[in-house]
Amino acid sequence: MTVLHARGLHKRYPRGDAEVTAVAGVSLTLERGAFAALVGPSGCGKSTLLHLCGAMDRPTAGEVRLEGRSLTGLDDDALTRVRRARIGFVFQSFNLLPTLTVGENIGLPLLLAGRDSGDARQRVGEWAERIGISHRLDHLPAQLSGGEAQRTAIARAVVHDPVLLLADEPTGNLDTANGRRIVELLREVNRSSGAAVLLVTHDPAVAAAAERVLEMRDGRLVPTAERGPDADGARRTRSETGVAAPASVGARPSVRAPEETVSTVRGAAAVPGAERPGAERSAS
Amino acid sequence: MLFRTFIVRALLQQRLRSAVTIASLAVGVGVVVAIQLANASSVRGFETALEAIAGRTSLEITSAGGALDETRLAELGWLREYGLVSPVIDADVVLAVTSASASPRARGTPDPGSGGFEPAAGPPVEPPVALETVRLLGVDILRDRPFRDYPLLDGDAIRETTTEAFLDRLTDPQSVILTRVLADRHGVAMGDAVALASGERWASLRVTGILAADGPAQVLDGNFALMDVAAAQWAVDSLGRLDRVDVRLADGLDVAAAELAIAARLPRGMTVRRPSSRGAEVERMLRAFHFNLTALSLIALLVGLFLVYNTVSVSVIARRAEIGALRTVGATRAGVAALFLGEAAALAVVGCALGAPLGWLMAHGAVALTSSTVSQFWIASAAEVPPLDARMVAVAFAVGIPLALAAAAVPALEAARVAPLAAVRGDRDLAARARLPRRFVVGPVILFASGALLALPDPVGGLPVFGMLAALAVVLGAATLMPAVLVAFRSAAGTALTRWGRVEGRLAHANLGAAIPRLSISVAALAASLAMMVAIAVMVGSFRETVAYWVGQTLQADLFVAASRRGPRDARAAISEGTEAVIAAHPAVAAIDGFASVEARHGGEMITIGAGRFDVVTTRGGLQFKAPADGRAAMARAAGRDAVVVSEAFSLKHGARPGDRIELATPGGPVRFDVAAVYYDYSSDRGVAVMDAATFARHFGPRRPAGLSVYLAPGADPETVRDELRAALGPERRLFINTNASLRTSVLRIFDATFAITYALEAIAIAVSMFGIAATLLALALERRREIAMLRLVGAESRHLRRMIVIEAGALGVVAQAVGLGVGLALSVILIYVINVQSFGWTIQFHLPAGFLAQATVAVVAGSALAGLYPARLAARFACNDLSDAR
Repeated sequence: MTVLHARGLHKRYPRGDAEVTAVAGVSLTLERGAFAALVGPSGCGKSTLLHLCGAMDRPTAGEVRLEGRSLTGLDDDALTRVRRARIGFVFQSFNLLPTLTVGENIGLPLLLAGRDSGDARQRVGEWAERIGISHRLDHLPAQLSGGEAQRTAIARAVVHDPVLLLADEPTGNLDTANGRRIVELLREVNRSSGAAVLLVTHDPAVAAAAERVLEMRDGRLVPTAERGPDADGARRTRSETGVAAPASVGARPSVRAPEETVSTVRGAAAVPGAERPGAERSAS
Repeated sequence: MLFRTFIVRALLQQRLRSAVTIASLAVGVGVVVAIQLANASSVRGFETALEAIAGRTSLEITSAGGALDETRLAELGWLREYGLVSPVIDADVVLAVTSASASPRARGTPDPGSGGFEPAAGPPVEPPVALETVRLLGVDILRDRPFRDYPLLDGDAIRETTTEAFLDRLTDPQSVILTRVLADRHGVAMGDAVALASGERWASLRVTGILAADGPAQVLDGNFALMDVAAAQWAVDSLGRLDRVDVRLADGLDVAAAELAIAARLPRGMTVRRPSSRGAEVERMLRAFHFNLTALSLIALLVGLFLVYNTVSVSVIARRAEIGALRTVGATRAGVAALFLGEAAALAVVGCALGAPLGWLMAHGAVALTSSTVSQFWIASAAEVPPLDARMVAVAFAVGIPLALAAAAVPALEAARVAPLAAVRGDRDLAARARLPRRFVVGPVILFASGALLALPDPVGGLPVFGMLAALAVVLGAATLMPAVLVAFRSAAGTALTRWGRVEGRLAHANLGAAIPRLSISVAALAASLAMMVAIAVMVGSFRETVAYWVGQTLQADLFVAASRRGPRDARAAISEGTEAVIAAHPAVAAIDGFASVEARHGGEMITIGAGRFDVVTTRGGLQFKAPADGRAAMARAAGRDAVVVSEAFSLKHGARPGDRIELATPGGPVRFDVAAVYYDYSSDRGVAVMDAATFARHFGPRRPAGLSVYLAPGADPETVRDELRAALGPERRLFINTNASLRTSVLRIFDATFAITYALEAIAIAVSMFGIAATLLALALERRREIAMLRLVGAESRHLRRMIVIEAGALGVVAQAVGLGVGLALSVILIYVINVQSFGWTIQFHLPAGFLAQATVAVVAGSALAGLYPARLAARFACNDLSDAR
């Protein structure tokens, strides 16, 4: 079942008198249970693409469909409701509300959706248990370590059972061990709930945990090959093909334009990031 | 250089915040300037008139008791040794003209500066009629020309006027010369009939000359009339009496020396003084009123300063990392502090520059609101806003800039303490602060205690300086207590907000906790202005209740008759024997008490010496006595003796208690009177000493009363009797007859008009502080942009965000109003029992206007919630890609 289908996405921003193109014609399909990593140099448009896919931003051209429903033409609040019901987000800087406790942060999407607070509390408890922060539920985010904060963020991102989980550099502020736990957690959520995961990362070790690696350059996806845990795989793949192509990730490709080449990647998940020297960027 | 890039550029970028701060400061400074200008205008109007009328007069001779007996002029023949002498009639009168511009209904319209008496009859000129209050000067033109210039007009040109020409125009006893301004205003021409009244009688006159606007003709916007002294005496019913004798000293004589020499030679009962001393007297009389208005205007400024503090604090907090970077590259602590003080100074310079002209504009409103009070209670003057001069602009800057710097000192010092490491760490001071430093509780306690102590000392020079300082200490105490109050409120309201406020309430509750240090300032500003509102509402409400009760008790007569719209206080507007006889002859009239009065000076203050029939007052009247316990009996015993009952204001200002003896000036020289009793009087803050009519006649000569209290037989209907009396008195008598009920109504109407300016100043202060709440919430919304975007991301719709911020704003309103109510009640106690007593000598009974306070509370909470609407709308527009880590 197709969770996300993005077609011909463009995003341009005015900057001064000029216009900057962040995303230049990307098409992407994610099936249920897919786990894809999006890699590429800084400023290549990864985060922008993530925002477009996550209904956080509107494309200048092109269309995003979530579970077959087009997001084009929805107003801000309608997009908000889509995010609240179907999408979860994890960020590098956690983005927890500093004034709410861990438990309140996790339960926020449920409360905003108008769920009964007893029901919400139960869900929060289950997830906190699962990710191992139930002893921290009444603490404020400032009292958490980086790893705990990111696990809280993941719990918040999945507490409402989203079909799509988007993660923007989720390990960027963490040390190696914590980074590895986070990726494991994302994988586990992906397997158990079947939510499609799209993960932006700079870290080849993290990317290696994905079934598919999509590489972006100058606002475009570049074709990638099926690949293993090799840290340089993505770059090598690009240099081999050199042709921009849309990608379909998941059990099987679903939509295919005539001129598009779609590569399908399976499995190949490895434990990432075991050897990343000097990764001490904890924000705690 | 650094200032331009670091401060000015930031101020320009934060345009909205800068604009709100500058606007608030401008309003605060403007209110202060407006009140100064309005105060100046009431005195200035009087002084300008005084100077114009005085002309080249060096000294003036007056008699105790107001009028100088013409026959005693012979005793003053020696005055000619000192220079020229001119006897003068100088009176405020009502002039009726047949006016082309007046509406047909104008017959019987109120005189300008009116107090609510209804005239029984109109003037003897053909309708339509316009009535104007004019200053009438009656002079002997032969003697007066060296004193004053009267530029007679011939057509449009000023004619060189010989004394003979003047004599031609003034010898006829019905001649009057008007000013061009007045004549043009009503289309009056030479030869037209006009009528003039100062008491109950109208005098028919004919216009025989028109004056250009120079000399005395400039006074009161041209409301000036000139007559021959004898004709004027007849017209104002003052035959045989003069208001004063003006003296123009011969060249080379020293005024001070001459004043002393003349004083030594004057007969008993007469005094000599310079005309300008009357201006100083008026200033002294208005001092307390002006002082209180000034103090009130400073509240608006105080609120503006809170916002300066707020703005500088915001910029310090928001720019900690930048400050750290500056320190890293070598800026000194002093340099950093100077930068932020410079920010406050920059805001203040613009605020003051805008505030001065704004104040001038607002002064027009302030004058409109105060001039009726001033003329009702103190002096009749054409209050006109003086032009905005350099001095007033200097006042604006002198008040605004140092205070703005003082307000910015605390955040500037905080900025100076930022360590260079702040830049590296990228500090953000947003984490919830649960603990509260002890100074947030100790400071307020010290301030409240000082407030209590400051309320105790006596006034300084008749001004409640310590009382005001006590009020300020209480307000500052409340302001510094605010963080503690907010912490307490947050924990107390937690359950309510999370249970009833749903998820938005929970979020608002969390946000409030994090922002307490920041919010405290704005909430304190709002609470301070609300406290003043509550205090003034309680004070005015108590005052009104007290006055209403006093009026109900004191005004026992069924009808009140006066020959002037100003009532019996207008000493010149006497009621004739004939009129009194007509009234006494009405079968329903059971008793009449007349009230006559003269103006006098006592202990350097203007006082009123009054006369009433003690037998009637003690048997029928309802005077309320403060002391002794049986004031009525003491007053009855004082009848016919050299004894007085004095008003509470007299007692407080001159320290006179029952059993004391006071010395009052009479035409026959100073006389000592026993103080028999002290009575409550809220009609004027001027001291009043009242003696029995017989005693008064013995010392001041026979004098007709200016007001009559008429007591009717049981069962008589006051309205019917009033109509019958009007019919019996005929249309030619100009009399104002009020029933008890209508007089009470008009007393309270005057009361309400008096406090209109108070409410206006209050409204401004509250509006400015609501502005402050909005500005703070806006700053917080901008600062929390990321968190708000996060909320959007996880599913907060715009309605959630709107509700969240509106709940926050409403909660702040609740806290501010709660503190405002508490502090306001404390302030009202200071106002009622310290400031009012010291300023005006009035005892006010405490009364809680519960209904008004309840309404105000609802309005304030709703108002602050509304103040949250704009920040809420703005926050709802934040897009969730503000969250992007790339930014």
